[in-house]
Amino acid sequence: MRPAILAALFSLLMFAAVAAGQNLLYWPDPTWRAPDGMAAKPNPLADNPQAMPGGRKLFLRNCAECHNKDGTGVPKKHAADLQLPIVQQQSDGALFWKITNGNTGRGMPAFSKLPERERWQLVLFLRTLKPVEREN
Amino acid sequence: MKQRLALSLLALFAATTCCAAQESPYFVTYDHHMEEPGNLDIEASSTTDIPRAGQVFYFAPYMEFEYGVTANWTTELYIEGQSTWNDSTIFTGWRLENRYRPLKREHWINPVLYLEYENINEADRIQKEVEGTAPDLSSPNSVLRKMKDHELEGKLILSSDVHDWNVAGNFIVAKNFSQSEGVEFGYSVGFFRPLATLASGSTCRLCRENFSAGMEIYGGLRSTLDGFGFNDTAHYVAPVLAWLVSDNATIRFSPGFGLTHESNPVLFRFGYSYEIQGLGGKLAHLFGGRP
Repeated sequence: MRPAILAALFSLLMFAAVAAGQNLLYWPDPTWRAPDGMAAKPNPLADNPQAMPGGRKLFLRNCAECHNKDGTGVPKKHAADLQLPIVQQQSDGALFWKITNGNTGRGMPAFSKLPERERWQLVLFLRTLKPVEREN
Repeated sequence: MKQRLALSLLALFAATTCCAAQESPYFVTYDHHMEEPGNLDIEASSTTDIPRAGQVFYFAPYMEFEYGVTANWTTELYIEGQSTWNDSTIFTGWRLENRYRPLKREHWINPVLYLEYENINEADRIQKEVEGTAPDLSSPNSVLRKMKDHELEGKLILSSDVHDWNVAGNFIVAKNFSQSEGVEFGYSVGFFRPLATLASGSTCRLCRENFSAGMEIYGGLRSTLDGFGFNDTAHYVAPVLAWLVSDNATIRFSPGFGLTHESNPVLFRFGYSYEIQGLGGKLAHLFGGRP
C-alpha cells in the first residue's frame, strides 16, 4: 500500500511540475555563486535590444540541448529551469559569470570560448524567458 | 535481433540533435576548452607537405573521435594513415588521448593535463605534434613501418582567454618505449580570435562571426639523449583559420611554413569536423541505462 501511495504522490508531483513547465529534477547548487564584484557588473548590451535575436540564436546553438528551447531544462540532464525566479532574480553579472565559468562538477560546461559580447547577448535573451503557463 | 539493433542505432543517429561546433582553429595547440559532456565530435583531417630536395611528397589523413566524458574530462581516439608519392599507402596506427581540466573556474591561466598513448610506427606523417629531433622524411615506407612506436606522451596545456583572444601554450614530454630515444621534448604556442564578437539574429554562413583566425608555432626541443635544444629539430609557423559552416560543422585550414632545414618547407593541414550532441545520453537510453 505504501509504495502505491508514494508512486501516486510522485506522479502527482511530476504532473504538477510538467503542467507548470518546471523541471523538478533540477536542484540549485547553493555553492555556485558569482563573486560580488562580478555579480554587480551591468550588461553592456542592456540598451541594445537589437542584440537579443543574436542571443536567441546562440542559446539555441549552445544551450537548448540541456535547457530546452524554452529554457525549462531537460529533466534527465538535471539542467536548470531558467524560467524559475531563483534564476531570473539573479543579476545580469551573476548570469554572465555562470555562463563564463560553468559548474563543471554539476555538468554545466564553461562557455568562455564564446566572445564576451556574445555571452552578454545570451544574458539578454535569458531575460526574455518567461513562465508563460504560470502567468496565464 | 541484429536488424533491430541496427534500426535502433539508425534511429538514434537520426534523432540526435546537433549544434554548437564552435571549434578552435588550432591543429596542434590545445587550449583549455573541453568537449561538452555527452557530445561526440568526429573529425576528418589531413596533413600534406611540399617537400624539399631529398624529402618525399606525402598525404596523411586521420580520423579523430572526441568525446566529452564530463565537463572537465575529454577523451579522444585517432586512427591514422599515409600515402607517399611513388611509394605506398599504409595504416600507421592509432592514439588514445585524455585531457583533464583540474580547476573548476576560469582563471587568468587555465591549466589542463594531457596524457596520450600512441601505438604508431615511424611512417606516421600526421605531425599532430612535433617533438624531439626532426622526423625521417626520406626513408621508404617499407623500412619505416617496421619501426614501432609505443609512446606515452604528456602535455602541460596552459591557456587563457583575454579580451576575446585565446592564447595557449603546450609543453610536450614524450617517451618511446620501443626505441631508446630518451625522453623527447616539444612545444606549441598559439593565439586566435573570432573575426566578429557579436552574433547577428539571422542565419548567415559567410558572415564574420562564423570565422576565427590566428596563428600557431610548434616544434621539437630534442631529447634527454641528444640534449635539450634546437639543433636538428623541425619548427613551423602556421596561420590557422576556422569556418563554422553550419551549426554542427566546422572547416579548418592551416598552411604551415618550415623554419629550419629539417622541416618541410610547407605543410598544408585541412580538417572537417561534425559534432553530434547528446550522444552519450541517447546511447545510455538505448541500452536502458541512466543518461
